[in-house]
Amino acid sequence: MGLIEGANLDKVYSTATGPLVALTNVSFTINEGEFISLVGPSGCGKSTLLSILGGLEQKTDGDLILAGQHHDAPRRDIGMMFQTSVLFPWRTIRQNVRLPGEILGLDKKQQADRTDELLDLVGLNGFGERFPGELSGGMRQRVALARLLAHDPRVLLMDEPFGALDEFTRETMNVELLRIWEKTGKTVVFVTHNIGEAVFLSDRIFVMTPRPGRLEGIVEVDLPRPRTTEVMRDPRYTEHVYDIRRMLGVDH
Amino acid sequence: MDMSAKSALPGTSTIARDDAVARFIANEKRTAQQRLIRNRLLALGFGLLVIAIWHISTEAGFVHRLIIPSPIDTFWATGRVMSAEYFWPNVGVTLSEIAWGFAIGLSSGVVFGVLVAMFDTVRATIYPYLVALQAPPKIVLAPIFVTWFGFDQPSKIAIAVVMSFFPMFLNTLTGLSSVDPNAVKLMRSLTAGRWKTFRYLLLPNALPIMMAGVKLCWTLAVLGVIVGEFVGASAGIGYLIYAMNFQLDIAGVFSLIILLSVFTLVIYQLIEWLESRIIFWKQL
Ligand SMILES: Nc1ncnc2c1ncn2[C@@H]1O[C@H](COP(=O)(O)OP(=O)(O)O)[C@@H](O)[C@H]1O
Ligand SMILES: [Mg+2]
Repeated sequence: MGLIEGANLDKVYSTATGPLVALTNVSFTINEGEFISLVGPSGCGKSTLLSILGGLEQKTDGDLILAGQHHDAPRRDIGMMFQTSVLFPWRTIRQNVRLPGEILGLDKKQQADRTDELLDLVGLNGFGERFPGELSGGMRQRVALARLLAHDPRVLLMDEPFGALDEFTRETMNVELLRIWEKTGKTVVFVTHNIGEAVFLSDRIFVMTPRPGRLEGIVEVDLPRPRTTEVMRDPRYTEHVYDIRRMLGVDH
Repeated sequence: MDMSAKSALPGTSTIARDDAVARFIANEKRTAQQRLIRNRLLALGFGLLVIAIWHISTEAGFVHRLIIPSPIDTFWATGRVMSAEYFWPNVGVTLSEIAWGFAIGLSSGVVFGVLVAMFDTVRATIYPYLVALQAPPKIVLAPIFVTWFGFDQPSKIAIAVVMSFFPMFLNTLTGLSSVDPNAVKLMRSLTAGRWKTFRYLLLPNALPIMMAGVKLCWTLAVLGVIVGEFVGASAGIGYLIYAMNFQLDIAGVFSLIILLSVFTLVIYQLIEWLESRIIFWKQL
């Protein structure tokens, strides 16, 4: 049995113009330690699915099981990261990374040490006393990544975390994320509309299509690990990208 | 520094280049300073010009000195007013009215803003009424308040409270509501409840907008008290202005207006200074 199991998940939002079906009949299994990406065009329900996985939104129908239990509320062993860094500008970088620990009431001494380790891990050693306003967009996402790991959650839910970064920074962040994932063995669900990014990072890719949001298919990525940007020259990489494009119907 | 290091340009040593950079920086600094001095002089010059025109037109008799006193008359009147025995007691009355009005208006604005922002039932119950009350000019209440609360301080404080409450209430509410939805999601994902979300996210996030409210609140508290004293009072700066105007002591009125403006401005500056201390961070 997987760590997270979804069966026939539906999500309907009630809006001013009537009910809006955001997800219909979504079923999947996610195993512990897996790197999963959700790929699809805007509006296909990626963020909605991620919010349901995080316990922030309620499914309208279906079953969602996490670690053998029904799951419908936020939990401290699930961490979330967004397209914007959502750093608090009145807190230093160090204080931002310590936010989860403070809110969850974790041991102060231990959190202080962990913050140092994490700033090291994301390559921001020496920036602890700076404020977010002094950092570039890429550096802020590194801080957000450190904060994501601060309370050592088991599942990482990432909603287009590098979507606002330029191509070069995004690629660097992808490599770093893989390095950190390989080191920590977390279960990751990563939302992106960048197909190449999904193939580069993932074990499996959930391909989603809109109107209404559906899980069109699941692609197993057949590329060796650990991966470097070299794999982009692998014919299988290109093959996967084209498969997914076909599933999404974007080839003309 | 490595003395033998040569720059890419033939014939210019590192030292010569460092020198040029230092000269450039010094030059920039000097230009910036000169610009600052120039701007100060321009502002000062304009002020002096206005006073000069004022002086000439009153001295030359273009306007009657009784209607518009000259700058020198105003200056002497200021001395006369400030050394009069009735002055300080009246100042005391007005200052305490302003202080009470400001304090009550500010704190009730914050409390109601927080309650309406944080509790849906409170919002549903009272928000429509607060919005409806916010629209008409509160000054129309001044005569009624004097009837209700009498000629003494309570009626002035009441007017100041009613006038300064709304900007503080609305700015608190707006500040607490204008928050990045993802930041709220982050707090929820960390299992933070209402109180922790308020303390860690909503309140600090609201401070810049709330401080703008404090400034409005201050200006309106002063306005409310003075208007209240115009409408009906037996003491206070507003009462003095009204009485002196009635006696055609316009120079005295001018000096009171100037003193009141200086006082209001000093406190305003103090609030701005406080604001720069409280909001030390740069918005993202
Ligand atoms: N809170 C909400 N209320 C109403 N409709 C929503 C809400 N969140 C998302 N939607 C709608 O659900 C659909 C899926 O949105 P979303 O999950 O954000 O897609 P994606 O992240 O793939 O772009 C969209 O049509 C969107 O407008
Ligand atoms: Mg989205």
